[in-house]
Amino acid sequence: MKRLAGVNKALHRNRLGEIGVEERKNAVRLTGKVDSREQYLKAGYIAAGRGYRGVINDIEVNAGGEGEMNLPSFQDNALEGKHFNVAVVGGGVIGAAIARELTRWNLDIVLLEKEEDLARHASSRNNGVIHPAFAPSPGTNKAYYNCFGNRLFNREAAELGIKIEWPGSMGLFTRRWMRLLMPFIRHRARQNGVRGVEYISPEKLKNLEPHVNRRFWGAVFFPETGNVSPYKLTIAYGENAAANGARVFLQTGVEGFTREQGRITGVQTNRGTFGADVVINAAGLWADRVAEMAGDRYYTIHARRGTIAVLDKKAGPLVNYNLGVLPLADTNTKGGGVTLSVDGNVLAGPTAEEVPRREDYSTSRLDIDFLFQQQMTLNELLRPDHAITYFAGNRACTFEEDFIVEPSPHVENLIHVAGMQSPGLTAVPAVSREVSRKAVDILSSYRNVDPDPGFSPYRKPPIELSRLSLEERSRVIKENPSYGRIVCRCEVVSEGEIIHSLQSPLGVFTLDGIKRRVRAGMGRCQGGFCTPRLVDILAREAGADVRQVRKSGPGSELVLKKTKGEVDYTGFKLKGVPGKKEEENSAADRF
Amino acid sequence: MQRTDFKVDTVVIGSGPAGMAAAVAAAEEGAGVCVIEREERPGGILKQCIHDGFGLLQFQEKLTGPEYSYRYLQMVENLQIPVLTKTFLLEIQHKENGFRLILQNESGVFSLNPRAVIYAAGCREKTSRQVFLQGTRPAGVITAGTLQYMINIQGYLPAGKCVILGSGDIGLIMARRLTLEGAEVEGVYEIKSEPSGLTRNVAQCLEDYRIPLHLSHTVTEIHGTERLTGVTVARVDENFKPLSGTEKFVPVDTLVLSVGLIPENDIIESLGVELDSRTSGPVVDQYNMTSLEGLFVCGNALHVNDLVDYVSESGETAGRAAAEYAARGLNHGDSNGKRVNLTPGNGIMYVVPQQWKIPMEEETVFYFRSRETVFRAELEVAAGNQVICREKYPVLRPPEMERLVIEPYLIPPGTKEIQFRLRC
Ligand SMILES: Cc1cc2nc3c(=O)[nH]c(=O)nc-3n(C[C@H](O)[C@H](O)[C@H](O)COP(=O)(O)OP(=O)(O)OC[C@H]3O[C@@H](n4cnc5c(N)ncnc54)[C@H](O)[C@@H]3O)c2cc1C
Ligand SMILES: Cc1cc2nc3c(=O)[nH]c(=O)nc-3n(C[C@H](O)[C@H](O)[C@H](O)COP(=O)(O)OP(=O)(O)OC[C@H]3O[C@@H](n4cnc5c(N)ncnc54)[C@H](O)[C@@H]3O)c2cc1C
Repeated sequence: MKRLAGVNKALHRNRLGEIGVEERKNAVRLTGKVDSREQYLKAGYIAAGRGYRGVINDIEVNAGGEGEMNLPSFQDNALEGKHFNVAVVGGGVIGAAIARELTRWNLDIVLLEKEEDLARHASSRNNGVIHPAFAPSPGTNKAYYNCFGNRLFNREAAELGIKIEWPGSMGLFTRRWMRLLMPFIRHRARQNGVRGVEYISPEKLKNLEPHVNRRFWGAVFFPETGNVSPYKLTIAYGENAAANGARVFLQTGVEGFTREQGRITGVQTNRGTFGADVVINAAGLWADRVAEMAGDRYYTIHARRGTIAVLDKKAGPLVNYNLGVLPLADTNTKGGGVTLSVDGNVLAGPTAEEVPRREDYSTSRLDIDFLFQQQMTLNELLRPDHAITYFAGNRACTFEEDFIVEPSPHVENLIHVAGMQSPGLTAVPAVSREVSRKAVDILSSYRNVDPDPGFSPYRKPPIELSRLSLEERSRVIKENPSYGRIVCRCEVVSEGEIIHSLQSPLGVFTLDGIKRRVRAGMGRCQGGFCTPRLVDILAREAGADVRQVRKSGPGSELVLKKTKGEVDYTGFKLKGVPGKKEEENSAADRF
Repeated sequence: MQRTDFKVDTVVIGSGPAGMAAAVAAAEEGAGVCVIEREERPGGILKQCIHDGFGLLQFQEKLTGPEYSYRYLQMVENLQIPVLTKTFLLEIQHKENGFRLILQNESGVFSLNPRAVIYAAGCREKTSRQVFLQGTRPAGVITAGTLQYMINIQGYLPAGKCVILGSGDIGLIMARRLTLEGAEVEGVYEIKSEPSGLTRNVAQCLEDYRIPLHLSHTVTEIHGTERLTGVTVARVDENFKPLSGTEKFVPVDTLVLSVGLIPENDIIESLGVELDSRTSGPVVDQYNMTSLEGLFVCGNALHVNDLVDYVSESGETAGRAAAEYAARGLNHGDSNGKRVNLTPGNGIMYVVPQQWKIPMEEETVFYFRSRETVFRAELEVAAGNQVICREKYPVLRPPEMERLVIEPYLIPPGTKEIQFRLRC
């Protein structure tokens, strides 16, 4: 009761006295009406950190709501009457990694994702930085999972055949006196398990990162900062899970649960209702809604948008390290700056802005200007016209601003993995191990759970021409000439790589799906050249009509009509020009 | 008859009008030339330009793009110039005695080692994000050239009701094409106060079809998650800033972008070739040779042209010079770079070529564009502080490139700089 009075008093002090406050199963619930989103958020933060399990913010905002969860509109019976040992809700990097981790055991696993591909939300809309565990406050879930996730990443990437790089990062000093903070920085690093931090003098900084803005007074170097492609990682987890027997259901939205005596018995989806022994809630921006469906909502998610600009690969050589201003507190803007990518592009951002509509990823001029003026300028040579595109992602934040990784206190077979904002990607390998252990614990209380002897953690990585030597390229092409045909000219992606990506166990046939797997269309012309070709390849490989080819989800078809009959150019050949393959390059020396 | 043991001392990258003209000119000068083309068929962008208006200068005829291209293809065939199609240039390396080109096609990876390289890779289109359009990223946002490829080559119509942003020529031509194919063009929006395409295209593609052209207007936001549901358009002030209160939502399923072309020079940029920020292409001399000896550039890779006839002309210049270079090395100019620089002065956007190497032996063609539309303009060409030529134009417009021939005897000895400027 004292806690409740505390919340009430603080709300009054902030002229939010009309807001109703009540306790609900050890959480605090806010009700009432406010005019603006700012007031809604303020009230939420005021109620957080007062000893409750979480804040249920049910305040209505007159200015407008959060928008509805975008669920698949079609129905079928693909899942009706089935039974799985574990159902994982949400095919972001967290859900996909948990599903894969669970396939180590002799269990029937299903991964449910409402979109037509994995990684359509936060997991494809982030910087892909593997953070050192420096920013989170010691003792938080964030600090713990960040530290162990970071240490497990190398092994994870090797098993999954995912490219990973460890260039390190510079936490830049904005003031001269900040070097005096080094003892505190070392102390914090020790507390959080961050290794190898090093003071970098202004002169040394200039040597290591020649184009860094001159206004900085040296930096702290974190060698444990890495980069990974977040969507490739998510897909790799999904593919490895599927290869080990997990069923992956895309375009499958969880709409509710059937419950009996404090446990979930059935999962209701647009593709039927099925039974599950354990349910894992990894629903990202909608984790609180999924919790509500299970009768166990004790936290509230609010979306904080981050806008990121992708810079041309030409900017790559100008930047050696991930760059950010040293975070002195666990602020809500962490990660902002200039970061590297394993594909050679430089990213600028992310920004941090609260937005009401959770799945609204539109960008605004304001964010872009901020990004160009405040973040890109950490490096003096980066310019707005280096930007080839930009995009936004929304962080799924709770008012406590910490990860929730725990079995439900009230529903005995439900595990929450929520509030997975940054450094959620870094935390993945640690979170997935922890959660799968908890799921196995729940199951073990009434049955035997044995390791699956057939499990293989290894995923055969697809052939990526850009990573091969010229000799290896030539060999691959000789075996399969489709690898010789370049379709995406900016990223130099061959038809063979594209066809291979379509044969993955996830079976995703969209332009964006290809883009996330092999980067076709991600370069400086942004698909201008390859999109028409990809439409034909997709239609051919899927055995579908071109009018069915989509950019992403249903409704994103590209071709509306055909204007003429088939055109066949196969017989086209120039006279007097060597056209045969063997003859074509006789003047050439071969590899 | 098929030649299988061709000797190659000059390689042309790209088989568009620039590349083919260059290859023909080089072969006529006796060079062993071959053309690299990444697409299935030669012809470059012209393959998809099925409207007419090409060739008025080169052939004194009104041809369609494919017809124009076919004329050059025949010359290429007659000279038995090999065209390696479906072959992609991965990398160019500069070697002591020329270049090493790493190429890839269905038969594997291989290399060629020519003395001279003519780079004629054309240009690419600017995208929505490159003109800083905000909002979502749904299906239904397409550049005009991509749309042209889909309609004219593939026979697919990816648009129902559309807005066209930008009044460049391709956008104007596509407004007409879309209308003929049964799509509805709600309007063309141009941020500037005058169209950026040729006057004849405004008349023939918009006015004839009653398609409204909204000048001083732009698209400010893209809406829709899966497919485009509409765009917000707004009027802009003289600094191109959208005026608040003038925003209007236009429900359309397609946004066509015709917002500019960028010369495609990324591969040669890696060789450290000097670039001209005004053209986004390399700096060249009167032979279209770049700052790197033996590397020539022509066509839209050099600067964006509005007439394909000029593209061919620049290809011929490069082809002739490259052949000469491949056979005899550098006999024009000296490698220390004794030269006259051409610079744009008052009212002029750019001048190409940017350098005139000494000795100046032949008359040389210069291309330039004005910054703004100027009626009754008078161009002055000054060598140092001496005006060497004056030209009067009823009107100069930025979209319409002008061509001027200068005789070398006009240039006083010791001149360091020639400036093109408009008399105020
Ligand atoms: C701009 C930005 C930058 C970031 N940068 C970094 C960084 O550099 N390093 C780092 O470590 N972290 C970073 N993060 C954080 C990281 O992206 C996230 O922690 C991580 O992606 C979270 O993964 P997730 O699986 O929980 O969420 P998501 O990827 O959002 O996945 C949740 C999935 O659940 C699905 N779903 C929801 N409801 C349902 C339902 N009812 N039925 C079925 N499916 C459902 C959704 O469709 C979604 O695909 C960043 C985040 C943002 C937004
Ligand atoms: C979309 C579009 C529409 C146009 N419409 C008109 C019009 O209606 N009227 C008009 O007068 N002008 C038009 N133009 C301009 C005119 O067509 C061009 O000026 C002319 O085609 C340019 O010729 P080019 O040879 O320089 O380039 P292109 O015609 O573009 O040819 C370049 C060739 O090089 C090849 N290539 C490039 N890189 C490589 C590589 N690495 N390896 C192998 N091959 C390579 C390309 O595949 C291409 O075939 C248009 C231009 C564009 C881009």
